[in-house]
Parts: sequence; C-alpha cells; structure tokens
Amino acid sequence: MIPTLGTLALAAAALVSIAVMIFSLASVRFTSARALSAARWGIGAFAVLITVASALLLVALMQSDFRLEYVASYTERALPTGYKFAAFWAGQQGSLLLWGGMIAWMSAIAVASRRASRGVGEAVTVGVLATICGFFAALLLFAANPFEVISGIVPVDGHGLNPQLQDLAMIIHPPTLFLGYAACAVPFAAMMGAMAERRTDYRWLTDIRRWVLFAWLTLGLGIMIGAWWAYIELGWGGYWGWDPVENASLLPWLTATALLHSMIMQEHRGVFKRWNVGLLATTFILCIFGTYITRSGVVSSVHGFGESLVGTFFFYFIISLTVASVAVFAWRWRSLEPQRKLSSMLEREGIVLIANVLLVLMMLITLVGTMYPAISRTFLTDEVTVGASFYNRTVAPIGLLLVGLMATAPALVYGQQAGKRLGRSLIGPGIAGAALTAIAAIFGLHNIWALIVTLFASVTFVAVLVNFFHSVRVERSHTGAGLLPVAWRLLDANHRRWGGFVVHLGMALLIVGFAGSSLFPDKTTHQVGPGESFDVGRYTLTFNGLKEVKRGNYTAVVASIDAKLPGGKVIDVSPERRFYDKRPDEPSAQVAIRSNWREDLYLILAGWEANGKVTAIQAIINPLTMWIWIGSAVLAIGSIICLLPRIGKAAGIAVNGGSKHMEGFTKGMTTPANNGSSMRPGNDEDSSQLPRRPRRPALEPVHTAMLTTADSSDTDLRTGPAAAASCPS
Amino acid sequence: MTRIRTKLIIALLVIGGAVTYLVQAGVRTGWVYSMDADAFLEKTEFHSRRVRLTGNVGLDNVDSNPAMLYAKFNLEKNDKSVRVDYHGAVPDMFKPGHEVVVEGELDENGVFQADVLLTKCASKYDPASPHSQEMMEQGEDPYGENDQ
Repeated sequence: MIPTLGTLALAAAALVSIAVMIFSLASVRFTSARALSAARWGIGAFAVLITVASALLLVALMQSDFRLEYVASYTERALPTGYKFAAFWAGQQGSLLLWGGMIAWMSAIAVASRRASRGVGEAVTVGVLATICGFFAALLLFAANPFEVISGIVPVDGHGLNPQLQDLAMIIHPPTLFLGYAACAVPFAAMMGAMAERRTDYRWLTDIRRWVLFAWLTLGLGIMIGAWWAYIELGWGGYWGWDPVENASLLPWLTATALLHSMIMQEHRGVFKRWNVGLLATTFILCIFGTYITRSGVVSSVHGFGESLVGTFFFYFIISLTVASVAVFAWRWRSLEPQRKLSSMLEREGIVLIANVLLVLMMLITLVGTMYPAISRTFLTDEVTVGASFYNRTVAPIGLLLVGLMATAPALVYGQQAGKRLGRSLIGPGIAGAALTAIAAIFGLHNIWALIVTLFASVTFVAVLVNFFHSVRVERSHTGAGLLPVAWRLLDANHRRWGGFVVHLGMALLIVGFAGSSLFPDKTTHQVGPGESFDVGRYTLTFNGLKEVKRGNYTAVVASIDAKLPGGKVIDVSPERRFYDKRPDEPSAQVAIRSNWREDLYLILAGWEANGKVTAIQAIINPLTMWIWIGSAVLAIGSIICLLPRIGKAAGIAVNGGSKHMEGFTKGMTTPANNGSSMRPGNDEDSSQLPRRPRRPALEPVHTAMLTTADSSDTDLRTGPAAAASCPS
Repeated sequence: MTRIRTKLIIALLVIGGAVTYLVQAGVRTGWVYSMDADAFLEKTEFHSRRVRLTGNVGLDNVDSNPAMLYAKFNLEKNDKSVRVDYHGAVPDMFKPGHEVVVEGELDENGVFQADVLLTKCASKYDPASPHSQEMMEQGEDPYGENDQ
C-alpha cells in the first residue's frame, strides 16, 4: 500500500508542477489573473503532495516496513526511534525527498507571503519555483524513488543505520543544510521575476532580504553543525578537513555572505545591481552544484553517496540554471547600470566591493581546488589530489584579510569624506587592539598569524562597542533616559545594524577559535599498559585498562582513563570504539572530549593488542576550540536579531532617529561629512517596515532636508518618493 | 572620477597579485599527484616527490600492529608491488586484499614511507559498502603540515 501510494503522490506532484508551469505561462500570454491564481494554488498543492509522500515514508520507517528497499537499507528493528526518524535523510533517496519537501514548503510560503500577486514578474517567479519543484519531483520519481520495493524475499531485519550517523548532530545537520539550500531557491526565483519585469530598483530586493538572510543563517548553522559532528564523531581531532562535501556546502555560503552586503549597497545607494543579480544566481546554482558533487561521484569524498543517475539529473539541471541565469543577466545588463559612481575607496561601497571580490575569490579557489582532481583526471595525464594545506594557504589568509575589513565596519560611512572619518573612528579601536596584541606578544604569543588574528578580532570588538556606546551617550544627552532603556531602544530601533554587528562579533570569536585550534594543536600518541600514567599538556592521565560494555545496538570497547586536572580534580575521560551489531567490521570511534574556554582535551582510542596490555591513545590539545561553537551561536543570535521585526512601540523610535538628526542639525549642518555619520538612523532600517513605522513628529522633515541639502550625492535613496509616501510627515 | 577608477584598479591588482602568490604557495604544498602503484614504478620522475598511491594490500608479508601504530605491507597493482612502511593510526578496515590509498615518499631503499593510509570503498553511505575508517583518516593533514 505505502509504496504504491508514495509513488502515486510523487507522480501527482510532478504533474501538478507541470500544470503550474503551464498556468504561469498562460497568465503571461493572456494576462490572466485567474491563471496566475491557479498557478499560485498549484504550488500549495505540490507542497501538500510532497508532504503526503514524506509522511508515507516516515510511517514506513517507523513501522520497519522492510518491503521498501530504503527502509531495509537504513534501519533495523533495534534502532532507537529517534534514529529511525533520522534515517529519513540517511540515504540518497530520503535526503532528496527531504530537500524536495523543503523547497516545496519554502516556495509555498514565499508565494503566499508575496505582496505583489499579479503581473509578469510574479508569474515568472511562480513558474521558476514550479520548475525547481518539478525537477525534484522528476528526480524522485525516475532516479531516486524512496518507495522502491525490494526485489525478492522481504528481509526479517534491515541493515541498520551507519554507526557514524547515529548521533544527535547528524540528526539535525542535514535538515538544517537543506533548509538553507531550499531557502536559496526563493530569492533566485524572485530575481528571475524581477528581471523579467525589468525591476531594477531596490524594492524587489527588500522583498527577499529576509529570505537571503534566513538562507545564509541556516546554511551557516548547517555547516557549523556538520563541523561539530565531524569533531565529536569522526575522531580525527579536527572539525574541518576541506573535504569536497564540506567545500560544497561552503561555496554558496561564501557568495551569500557577499550578497548580504552588496544588497545593502543597492538598497542605500543604488549600486552593485549586477553583483546582486549575479550573486543571487550563483548562490542558488552552487547549492545545486554542491548536491551534484556529493551525489554524482565526480570527486571522491569521504562522505559522498554512490554514483547514480541522480548525478546526471543534477548535471543537466545545473547547465540549464546556468544558461538561464547568464541569458537573463546579459538581457538586463544595461538596465542594471549603477545609479552612482564610487566616490572614495574608503567609503562603505569601496570596502564592500573589496570584501565581495575577496569572498568571490575564496569561492573560486575552493571551487577549483575541489574540482581539480576531476579536472586533472580528464585533461592531464596524472591525477592531482588537493590537500587541506592548499586551502589553508590560500583561502585562510584571504579570510583573515576579510576579518580585517570587517573590523572597520562600524567606522564606515558613505560619501567622499568617508576616508577621513574612517581614520578618525578607527584611532581608538586601533590603539586598543594594538595594545592588546602587544600584551599578547609580551606574554609569549609569537606566531605572526595569531598576532594578526588578535589584532583584527580585538579591533572588531572595540570598534563595535565604541560605536554602540557612543550612540547610547548621544542618545542619553538628548533624552536623559537611563542607560539600559536607551540601549534597548537603540537596539530595537535598528535591528539590522546592531544585529549585523553581533554577527561580526560572532565571526571575530570564530576566527579566534579557528586560529587557536589550527595553529597550536598539540598531538601526541601514547602506548600504555593498565595502571600507567602519562602527561598531556596540563593534564595527567591514568589508563585503567580496557573493558567491553554492551549497550543497545552495539558493543563498546572502552579505554577507561582518569584525567587529573591542573586544579587536582580527577575526572573520567574514556574514549571508545563501538562495534555495532549489524556492522561488526565497521567499528566507529567515540572520542572523549573535555572542553573549557582555554582548550579541549581530545582523546582517541587508536588501537590495542590482545587484552589491552598495550593500548594506543592519541591525545590532542586543541586550544580555544570552544570559541568556535560560542562564535557560531553568537553569529546565529545576530542573524536572528536582524530577522526579527521591531518589538518596541512607537515612542521608542523617535529616540534613535531624532537625536541623530539633531546632532547633524546642531553640530554639522555645514559639513557634508557629518551626514555620513556612522550612525545614520533611517538608513539601515528595514524598508518593509516603513509603512508600519509611525511618523516621526517634527524631526523627519529635518532629516530629509538635511540629507538632501548637505550633500546631494550622499542622499539615501530611501528619502525618495517611496519613503516620503509611506512616511507622511 | 577617474582617480577613483585608477585607485580601484590598483587595489584589485594588488589583491590579484597577492592571491596569485598565495595560490602558488598553496599549489606547491597542497597539490599531490596520485596514481596507481604500478604506474608509479614506471614514472621515475615521481620517485623523489610526495605522491598518493592506490593499490591493494598484498596477501603476504603484512606486518601491522594497531597498538604500536604501524603497518608494513606490499601495495600491489597489476602484479607489480611497492613495499610500504606506514606509521600512524591503522584503520580498522585495513586488511590484506583490501584497496587502500597511501600518501608519502619513496626513500633511498626503495621503501615507500607513508604517513597517510586510507581504506577505500566505492560508495559511502551505502549500506553494502562500509567505510567508517576513511573518515578517521581524514585526520591525515587537516591543518597543513601539523601532523607528526
């Protein structure tokens, strides 16, 4: 029953997606609103059908219905229920179904929430979404059907889940990543729609701003959860090995990072339009490309899937997407003229331009490195494999340079005088950062890379804090309100600005963690007998012997080890090897990690002679690793702040906007630079909130007037008719 | 605004130059030729370079000890073989007859000194072909040359 129903649901979904494509074409051809409406409902129907298919597969997994090849391949009766659930995305077919389902729901939510529900642009957007959905339906139906019935006798029990996937991180890593990939489809479709309609202003971008941010956040989280999984589960002491699959997930994240920044430039200044279209298309194509790499077997990877027809499907899909994107790009090239020219390399646009170039270079280098084994195999006589040190010497230094640019972010403004202001605003943070770096050097930190990281990270922190407290002080001098209420109102009045800075702080913490754990890991191997002690870093470890423990669906060989901490406290850190019942030939390492803010003690049970008389323990001290996870959390919090709508009520906002205008008004009316103030009120705010934003009594006209008169070239586009209309004063 | 244009071009040229330098340095250390064991024997130009070899673990003369962290074996391909001396954690999947990948350099005695040993398998998450050890061996060189 389930196999038939499942395949039927997929077939129906495929048909619905074709119908949606036809309806959207018809709505353009006959300018029919009803056809478009039908197409929009069709996307919803598609989502429902894919959900039905997913539910059926889930039921089969839960009931251990081994008639299905997928269920038999990835589960067993003894598998804990949580892992039966996770087995949904443990294999090729199921993970593609999950991805297809996510794309369907993202599309449905996007279609339902879009304001413009008519016109060519909308029809094209819906049509493109339907094409992407249809691709997945066809893929599931013809190349990776999860409802395939087993040939021959139905087995009594299944193969069980790959031991290394039996981990909490692995339950959440794939869905998070797929959610990010799926969310990238929406801005791509919206871009196609906007280009079809020749909408080259910023407004179509504000419609998708949250989508891009959400995609960036989930992609980033997915990558970091994957890194965490690698760290605790794979047992080689690291979290990132520049493996093709890891690289594949990094590629779209890099371009999405660039996109987030250049979108702000288009919104505020009317520049970078071509960048934005190009980055939007590239990001989505790279999401598909990542899947292609993992599913096609084109490059061998440690966590890929087998070769299959799926690769061929993806290959042609990538080609079609690329051709379509390039065609659209060429078609609208002239309409995407920037609205102004760069006036200084040191203004925001200049720095963002350099940052974007660096991000794209990082992406290209990673892409070439990842594909080089395949390229050299095809075009050269000898195959070349690209090791981690290639990326560590290319991508890592460029990344560090980016962090340096990031440190200047709070001090960046628009306009010709930006360079001078930048210098002035950076003096304080620069001195503080240099002092901190000098202290670090005095206390024995002599590695040049580590010192650079210290400098950049500390300048980032100080610059953001100085900027924030300066704003708070200015605010307080005008309102006389208390510190905390003012700080809260400032934050709430400009989620995007401060949320963005929180993301930067998270990046600074991340880079500190990366530097510590990659520059100074201390790896040692110890061959010990029962009762012997050995020193690792600041710890004294005592090996108590090997023991065998039977738990659930596996038997563990545990190396019982006590660690004496510097304080004298003794704790248990016992690494294991697990032999799963279904796969006794495939033991999996369970590392023991003792983590604190300074360093991780990381122990691996590497091997033993009979009875454990001699046991090999690999010990690694990974400095500052915890800051990677803390930084990731901070990064996520910052992104969520950006995504949240304003919480406070009307009275709060005049504060941020008001006094700043006053500052410009009272102190600097005559100097143009001043209106490029580092804390420009309305600028960074979400324009989608404009209609909801209560008016600013009295001060708003001053703001507009001041901006336009003081330096006309520096005018925010927002103060144009749109903003004026939605914010009558 | 030609001045800005000039500055921009200079900035991009500087970035381009720096990146080219980085890539060159990266290629020198990170790109390793890989070939089958029999092909390696013929290509003498690779005998003094770090390479990655693929072959099967010979059935005879295998001396491996996971506790002492070494494995010595013949890497065979098409009836030709290279003696390999590997030091490091021995993957559980390391067994005579299995296909493996080693990375290292030929020493003056004609023994291949390897510090990377990967057990290979055709497909990864497939239930039929297990692979757990390969992941472990990703530890080969995650941070460049920090490996012991």
